[in-house]
Amino acid sequence: MSSLRNAVHRRAHKERSQPKERKRFGLLEKHKDYVVRAKAFHKKEDYLQKLKEKAAFRNPDEFYFKMINSKTVNGVHKQAGEPNKYTQEELLLMKSQDIGYILQKILSEKKKIERLTATLHSLDSQRSNKHVYYAEDRQDAKRILSETKSDGGLPAFEDLPEKIKRRTAASYRELEARKNRAHDLEKVYNEMAMKQELQKKGKKRKLREDEIVCPTSKPVYKWRTERKQ
Amino acid sequence: MAFPHLRTLMALFTLPTIFFAGFVPRGRPGGIRGKPGFKCKPGLRGKPGSRVKLTGMKGGNKVVVEAHRHEGVFIAKGKEDALCTRNLVPGEAVYNEKRISVQNEDGTKVEYRVWNPFRSKLAAAILGGVDNIWMKPGSKVLYLGAASGTTVSHVSDLVGPTGVVYAVEFSPRSGRDLVNMAAKRTNVIPIIEDARLPARYRMLVGMVDVIFSDVAQPDQARILALNASYFLKSGGHFVISIKANCIDSTATAEAVFASEVKKLQAEQFKPMEQVTLEPFERDHACVVGAYRVPKKPKLAAS
Ligand SMILES: C[S@@+](CC[C@H](N)C(=O)[O-])C[C@H]1O[C@@H](n2cnc3c(N)ncnc32)[C@H](O)[C@@H]1O
Repeated sequence: MSSLRNAVHRRAHKERSQPKERKRFGLLEKHKDYVVRAKAFHKKEDYLQKLKEKAAFRNPDEFYFKMINSKTVNGVHKQAGEPNKYTQEELLLMKSQDIGYILQKILSEKKKIERLTATLHSLDSQRSNKHVYYAEDRQDAKRILSETKSDGGLPAFEDLPEKIKRRTAASYRELEARKNRAHDLEKVYNEMAMKQELQKKGKKRKLREDEIVCPTSKPVYKWRTERKQ
Repeated sequence: MAFPHLRTLMALFTLPTIFFAGFVPRGRPGGIRGKPGFKCKPGLRGKPGSRVKLTGMKGGNKVVVEAHRHEGVFIAKGKEDALCTRNLVPGEAVYNEKRISVQNEDGTKVEYRVWNPFRSKLAAAILGGVDNIWMKPGSKVLYLGAASGTTVSHVSDLVGPTGVVYAVEFSPRSGRDLVNMAAKRTNVIPIIEDARLPARYRMLVGMVDVIFSDVAQPDQARILALNASYFLKSGGHFVISIKANCIDSTATAEAVFASEVKKLQAEQFKPMEQVTLEPFERDHACVVGAYRVPKKPKLAAS
């Protein structure tokens, strides 16, 4: 039956939108939006009401464990969590999983960088390489000098459309951003790997300031060499 | 190995007809484009002195491709900013490189392949600003150390259907890829032999205009000289890639390049220029020069 009803042409009603002069109020609220908003509001209202009642009927002499287990720190309510929720092995495992994730991200970022550099050859930038000419004698050298002076590097594209220029610039920007990201990820990875090594067994000690060969701001550790059998 | 031999013999018969007189080496590369007598599609032909624009600017093209100073090499601008060659086998990539399709004003489509300078020393040398690679459409090139054919495929694009590339590779493993690539490119003749023994393939290779050598061996200068004595025409040219620590890992790169140049000079080669391949390769250089030049060279004057 419904299919028959669909066959009859029905008028499509367009939704009214916010008039232009009231644009600053955002989208025009419809009734169904209002219903959602109102329901959420009343729910919170009821909840607050319940809490207020609870507080009013509280017995001040009664003891609650939360009185000891939790407190407010700088105005933020904090629960004292269980001190040792995970064992040392579990923690190590979780850390290694985190490291694995970071490593995976580094690799995928490097792949993308490789793909981008394959097609971005910095054609217009200054070359960083060395170009040497071999001359047989003085005259030959003069000829080469005069010829190379007129050489203006790569042919520049004249009247390149703005659209194309923007596309190229965007590609270079993406490459730069990805390089930075890979660099940051690598830093994070090194730090995590260091922490993990420190948690493992093995005798080590922190080097004193005067023992460090190449100065860094980070602490430097030295492991005792151990015979592995 | 019967397969490449057969193909080569066929190519040998066609060789004499391809020789043409217009291959006088020129002192300056700048003026080559659009020379009368250079066969080119009418639409691609540029007036001397003017720039060739290959794509419709007004059309919805997202890439613009322009001819490079070196004939047969192109530059694509768009999402890419890349060196490329015109794909001889449209629709096929060789080493998973990016392909760029461009529509001409007359509606015909041309496909280009991006030439990755991180994987090809010749591309790195071109980007490094080398004055002349002495390869252009119609050239006959002997390529020593072809590996799986990455660079060879671009040289094959560059010399086009009227040119030939003889690709010599020693290792059968890389050689397999090379042969597969050559199966689709009629101007590539794969030769799975040791480049130290050119006598073994002298029947397959005719006289060539250019030898490109990238064997990465300590005795590469000798290998190049040996092959040149067999196949390189007098006044022909060579391009050799030198990896410093392949030859002497204790000396500085500069010293290695200089000593290699000395060795070449002792073998009737006349090095003309040298570019290092930064930032694409470290401690690499390409040396370009001529072979058996007559005493008082008329090269520069012509
Ligand atoms: C650096 S790779 C060449 C890469 C290639 N030119 C490219 O850009 O795609 C050097 C190649 O030379 C080959 N080779 C080394 N000695 C050779 C010899 N004596 N004869 C032929 N090929 C040789 C090696 O097997 C290797 O594949």
